[in-house]
Amino acid sequence: MSQYGMIIDLEKCVGCHACAIACRAEWEVPTGKDSAERERRRNWVTRLGPTKTPKGLASTYYPGLCNHCDKPACVDVCPADKVEVTFTDAKSGKTKKMEVAATWKDPFNGTVQIDKERCLGCGACADACPYSARYVNEEESDPKADKCTFCVERVAEGLEPACVQTCLARARIFGDLNDPNSEVAKYVKKGAAKLESAKVKIGPNVRYYGNKKDMHLLTTTCTPQAMPQANLRRTIMAHMLKPAMDQVKGLGMLGLAGAVIVKGLSDDEKE
Amino acid sequence: MALNLTRRKFLQTASLAAASAAMSGCFARQANASTPFVKKPFTAPGSFAGTKTAVGGVCEMCFWRCQLVGKVRDGKLVKLEGNPKSIDNGQSICARGNAGVKLLYDPDRLKFPMKNVGKRGAPEWKRISWTEALDECATKLKAVVDKHGPQGIAIFPHGSSAKYPMTFFENVVGTPNNSEASFFQCRGIRDTAYVATLGVAPGENVDMANAKAIFLLGGHFGENVHVSHLKRYLKGLENGAKLIVVDPRFSASVSKADIWVKIKPGTDTAFLLAIMNYLIKEGKYDKKYVAEHGKGFDEFSKGIAHATLKWAAKTCDVPEKQIKQVADMLAANAPNVSIHPGRHVSWHGNDFQRERALACLTGLLGAIGVKGGFVAGKGPKTGKAGWPKPMAEHAEKFALHKMAKVYKFSPPGTPTDLIRNAAVTGKPYAIKGFVAWGQNPIQTVPDQALTIKMLEQMDFVMVCDVMPTDITMYADILLPESSYLERYDHIQKGTQWNFADPHQQFISARMPLVSPTAADHERKESVWIMNELAKRMGYGEHIKVKSAEDMINTMLKDANLTIEQLVKEDGIHLQPGVDPYGKALDVEFHSAELAEAGYPAIPTYVPVPEPPKGFARLVYGRAPMHTFNRTQNNTWLHNEMPINPVWLNDECAKKMGLKDGDTIELVNQDGVKSRTSSVVKVTPGIRKDTVYTAHGYGTMNKAMTVGVGAGIDDQSLITKVAVDPETGAHGMRNNFVKFIKNGKVLSIPA
Repeated sequence: MSQYGMIIDLEKCVGCHACAIACRAEWEVPTGKDSAERERRRNWVTRLGPTKTPKGLASTYYPGLCNHCDKPACVDVCPADKVEVTFTDAKSGKTKKMEVAATWKDPFNGTVQIDKERCLGCGACADACPYSARYVNEEESDPKADKCTFCVERVAEGLEPACVQTCLARARIFGDLNDPNSEVAKYVKKGAAKLESAKVKIGPNVRYYGNKKDMHLLTTTCTPQAMPQANLRRTIMAHMLKPAMDQVKGLGMLGLAGAVIVKGLSDDEKE
Repeated sequence: MALNLTRRKFLQTASLAAASAAMSGCFARQANASTPFVKKPFTAPGSFAGTKTAVGGVCEMCFWRCQLVGKVRDGKLVKLEGNPKSIDNGQSICARGNAGVKLLYDPDRLKFPMKNVGKRGAPEWKRISWTEALDECATKLKAVVDKHGPQGIAIFPHGSSAKYPMTFFENVVGTPNNSEASFFQCRGIRDTAYVATLGVAPGENVDMANAKAIFLLGGHFGENVHVSHLKRYLKGLENGAKLIVVDPRFSASVSKADIWVKIKPGTDTAFLLAIMNYLIKEGKYDKKYVAEHGKGFDEFSKGIAHATLKWAAKTCDVPEKQIKQVADMLAANAPNVSIHPGRHVSWHGNDFQRERALACLTGLLGAIGVKGGFVAGKGPKTGKAGWPKPMAEHAEKFALHKMAKVYKFSPPGTPTDLIRNAAVTGKPYAIKGFVAWGQNPIQTVPDQALTIKMLEQMDFVMVCDVMPTDITMYADILLPESSYLERYDHIQKGTQWNFADPHQQFISARMPLVSPTAADHERKESVWIMNELAKRMGYGEHIKVKSAEDMINTMLKDANLTIEQLVKEDGIHLQPGVDPYGKALDVEFHSAELAEAGYPAIPTYVPVPEPPKGFARLVYGRAPMHTFNRTQNNTWLHNEMPINPVWLNDECAKKMGLKDGDTIELVNQDGVKSRTSSVVKVTPGIRKDTVYTAHGYGTMNKAMTVGVGAGIDDQSLITKVAVDPETGAHGMRNNFVKFIKNGKVLSIPA
């Protein structure tokens, strides 16, 4: 079994933001409307410092993306109905059946993925992620949650993830953390660090490598210190709405409740 | 009826749906008979799925010109990537390169020829036909030539597509008044200073990839991004090169440096002189190289004998032992040191001398033609195409700096300041026709008020560009040009970026990645526009190339290539290269030529004005996601850095009561306020006497719907012009600012 992961070598990174834009182009990532959305979407670079650290003045970057965690906080909160899915290992051809909601952790490559056909767009997963690495694509006519897929679709074609390919510094390194001969595994041995804290220990698989002062700056400012509070209202509503949504879809908008909902929506259009 | 449900509506209607769920029983029965719900695909397919790869792209989001491929789906460009065959940028392109798609499809792009029926600066646009536009431009420009002579026209060009029009106006019409301001204010000084010292323009020809030490004066790589340039730099660092960065600010490069020289702005030449004097006194320079290739070394060493470490420490506000440390580090790693010539080098009006000093330091260390030193790659040859020069002599005769016998080491073209002054005063002759092509002089030249005054007195203003910018607001006729992704126009050539790799050369030509033909616009490429204008102005007989495609094919002929052949070779022709090492250059430590022209014969430190009490010096630089003002309207790039925070020293901020992220405006020493606001970035990473921001923000053109008013336009605060006496280029860092918060002016404590 593989666990895809990424290393970000801050000694090489020059903070050019090419990774973030390449990702945007590759997956048509919306730009978002407010600053919070802008900063944490699918693939981002945040400049840190210059600021004082115990190791001296430092300035570095927080290039971020989904961590494809060992225990992803986003998966269990998905309210979509579970269905049985057969997963196949790309290497051995082995298969495994699992009951999954609209988002899951792949049992063979360790990536966290979304089935956007079944996603309700409720945003519960985005709320649950302590790294703010998920978003709901509001620019779609039917908004769905989205996130970094580690470009598994590109990887399957023999390509590198879009952010890795464009990186002029070769500061992003992608590979299988479970393969001891991989470059990513070698970085782990050299001490590449996870952004984990006492209360946020969900096994991120993106790791950062850099000198002491840069790592001090990164870890003290960018490590989440608490798991996000679930958005109770949103969770309850998602659960309440889901059965009705299923029925509305099944009805093709026929029936009394459908008409009521449509009326509600057209009123909403007039706002 | 389709259910078009947004997430917001979904949440808003959730309670309603929950109420209706009580009736679920009846729905369940009806569901079986219903038509199936048609789902839309929710997943973007990715650039690799169902696309064709178009080759031959050459980027122009900046002017480094990386080689591209385009992923095209259904005639639409989906994504840009580095051309895998490139030995320059390879598969990498920067943030701006990646965002080229958004320029191509920017809804704010210029689409049709437009006539300004309002005022210059407050335009009202009326769409006109190309025929009408060209007729009017030709008539008006010709009228200027007839009345005032060819010198009555000024052209402000920038970029690949502007070269053909620029040479038309210079060589065929015969005006010397060409202000390639973006080159002039950027690299021009560097080029003429190096030519006067080493006999060659330096480019960025330092072999950083194979250096043992890299020396940057103000170079902020990472914030300033050119792909193969940065590859060299990073390779050098990876190989263990020591990095010395001289900068008043803790820049992106400083964060990777072994030594940060937190220099007082304007004093760099003093710093360099002290290093050289120390190396000479201690015998730590390359005696063999200097003996063989140095000219006027004795005069030089005597002439800089005053530049002691102690003197420089005081002048530059840098510890004496740090200057020594830098000098020793350079000496210890010589000759394999990269003394970077810099890029944007017009700072304080004493810049030619600084560039001379850098060239001398390079020679003193023997860092020429050797690994890690000053080494130019030997690129392939291609031919030329364009205009003949029937009027070149006339242009020469009316060159303002030559008539006034000033700025004898001026880069090609005419110093912008002289053009503007002549236009405003009418002396020594009138300048009444103005052409901007790809350049935005409002944000490249200091003193915007004077630039606007120049524009207002023109008989005719023509602007050709891809996007609206601040200068397009002043056009009488505005012409829409096809973008770099839709046209032929440039040959890009060179060598592999790392000289340690097998020697190779490449030739690529910019070719369209997507068709420019679309129903909703009438953009044209510059060769067509210029030829049509030339014919109408009566210069048709001089036309040598029919189209941009024809021009490129002509240029390729000398290399035995054609566009067709380049396409077959995936857009890039590769051939064996030559070893670039081994060529020594003579070093004019003391220049008789400069002495004769009345300038200091050896590099000389000229002090610059100090900030008045309560002010700090305004210094500007680059951000990696923008190319000055050109990219401000790009949605993706804007999103990465929507405004330009103003860096302020943390101790100053504390005394001023400013907190990180506070909204502020700036006001300069002449009482000029920034039109817009930004936020303050409070950091220990900048000197107390200096504030810094990224250049190019704060555009005032409402036609740039994304970029308008975002951040502060640093250029609007640069009202005091410092003119470099040797070159006539504008130093733009002798302006000083205070902060304004909630209408209250805040002085900056010393």
